Amino acid sequence: MKRITIISGHYGSGKSEISVNLAINNKIDYLVDLDIINPYFRSRGLADLLEEKNIHLVESTIKGMTGSDLPYISGEGVVPFVNPDITAIYDLGGTENGARVLIQFLDRVKDVNEIDFLCSVNIFRPETADVKGILDTIAMYEAETQLKITGLINNTNLINETEEVDLIRGEKILIEVGKKLNIPIVYTVVEETKKNFNHKFLGERITLIRYIAKKYL
Amino acid sequence: MAKVLMKGNEAMALAAIKAGCDAFYGYPITPQNELPEYLSKHMALNGRVFVQSESEVAAINMVYGAAGAGARALTSSSSPGIALKQEGISYMAGAELPGVIINVMRGGPGLGGIQPSQGDYKQITRGGGNGDYYLYSLAPESLQEAVDLIKESFDIADYFRNPVMIAVDGLIGQMMEPVTFDNETPKWELEPKTWAADGDRSNREKNVINSLYLDPLMLEKHNLKLKAKYDVMRDKHQRYEMINVKDAEIVIVAYGSMARIARTSIEILEEKGIKCGMIRPITIFPFPDKAFRELQDSVKNILVVEMSTGQMLEDVKIANECERPIHFYGRVGGIVPEAEEVVSQVLKIIGGEDNA
Repeated sequence: MKRITIISGHYGSGKSEISVNLAINNKIDYLVDLDIINPYFRSRGLADLLEEKNIHLVESTIKGMTGSDLPYISGEGVVPFVNPDITAIYDLGGTENGARVLIQFLDRVKDVNEIDFLCSVNIFRPETADVKGILDTIAMYEAETQLKITGLINNTNLINETEEVDLIRGEKILIEVGKKLNIPIVYTVVEETKKNFNHKFLGERITLIRYIAKKYL
Repeated sequence: MAKVLMKGNEAMALAAIKAGCDAFYGYPITPQNELPEYLSKHMALNGRVFVQSESEVAAINMVYGAAGAGARALTSSSSPGIALKQEGISYMAGAELPGVIINVMRGGPGLGGIQPSQGDYKQITRGGGNGDYYLYSLAPESLQEAVDLIKESFDIADYFRNPVMIAVDGLIGQMMEPVTFDNETPKWELEPKTWAADGDRSNREKNVINSLYLDPLMLEKHNLKLKAKYDVMRDKHQRYEMINVKDAEIVIVAYGSMARIARTSIEILEEKGIKCGMIRPITIFPFPDKAFRELQDSVKNILVVEMSTGQMLEDVKIANECERPIHFYGRVGGIVPEAEEVVSQVLKIIGGEDNA
């Protein structure tokens, strides 16, 4: 895993749950919630859990404002880009407006090889159901940020109704996308409730715990 | 089309397109913004009309105009925005215009907050606007149910020539679930809109869309005509689901997201050996008072659970006709009660600690 991982993807592609799981599993120093698009289900709602896990959460500087949809994030978000000792995950908001938030930090980047800019894809999201849709989404993120997507996350799921063949189908589509862009599938996400999926998926497997949406499922 | 994973607001938007919605008019407000955002792109792709109006008041009056011309029109908003639309909604009911209004509720009063709430129950079921009118109001508990009801809602609005309200809270708007748009939904027998002011004067007298009746006798006649429609809704079109009520000793009454959470509470109670059922209103107007007459003698207590300080509670009291003790549990401010909170309330009631 590179020192800085930025998770992008269409909204509803699982960015926040994946970010939180990666941060916890890999004992990452900073989780930077750049999501100013969604009003609900954001990683900033997990402040207590992250503190307990010694992960520094960067969000709005206005504390206790989980109910705020002000497009505002702390300047602390720049710290991992200037301090080479800090590992970080950046959780972007969906849509081009979500991507734009990242741009303010990018002139601080010293070594682009330290950064993984990943795109999470769920083929059950209508906008990313096929190769063309996924390529369009990636092109949008790259155009907004002027940063190349370096890898894909196969997060194909229908929540509790996911079947193993769905993930395999998602993988096939992502392999095609990967070939066109010359990028790998870095992670495949399998819910903790679907541990019986034995298929050897491409990339590292993330056994996903739904920290954010759990109680409503 | 098989199942897809969608966010509630998007799914409701696509359901409206599938229902043949011709035109959308709205003004942004959290937590329903993905709905107009989705339609801003997809209405155009489907050759329909999308207008982001200058205000909520403008939006509802555009719905009035489009509906008056015979179109299937939609607006959506969240609590404070719905409050602003009340004048137009009242005018639509008065002029007997169909239309669908989606309310993705957030905390109030006033600007309140942006987290989920069911605090608009009275605004929806008692009429926030002036005069004697009601809205046929549907309160789905899941994305699938929201999709199916929205697909049907345009038919219902046309059938009654009355606005239909889709009442969900922010949780339904923001959460993601697998949905299909292929479910068969009931088709209502609809007559041609011969009343519409559509510019066609080839073979009819002029049509006038208005809610103004200066002659008291004419207005009374009009009011009674409207009442007859609401009576039909009450008599024939109450919708509800009875869950686990057979032999239940206590019954929860909850709608929307709250019902969904109460389902988990019922499972937890089952494990503890307590038989708890639920009446889940699907229409909140007409309120399903018929459901209460189906309850057996085994039911000793009723617990109303809401994300409000007790708004539906009054309707439950009316429907209960003093038959059983009624208890209440609610959280407000945008806080969503957890299943365990409802469980401990049930345990208190059964243990005699909570006297109604």
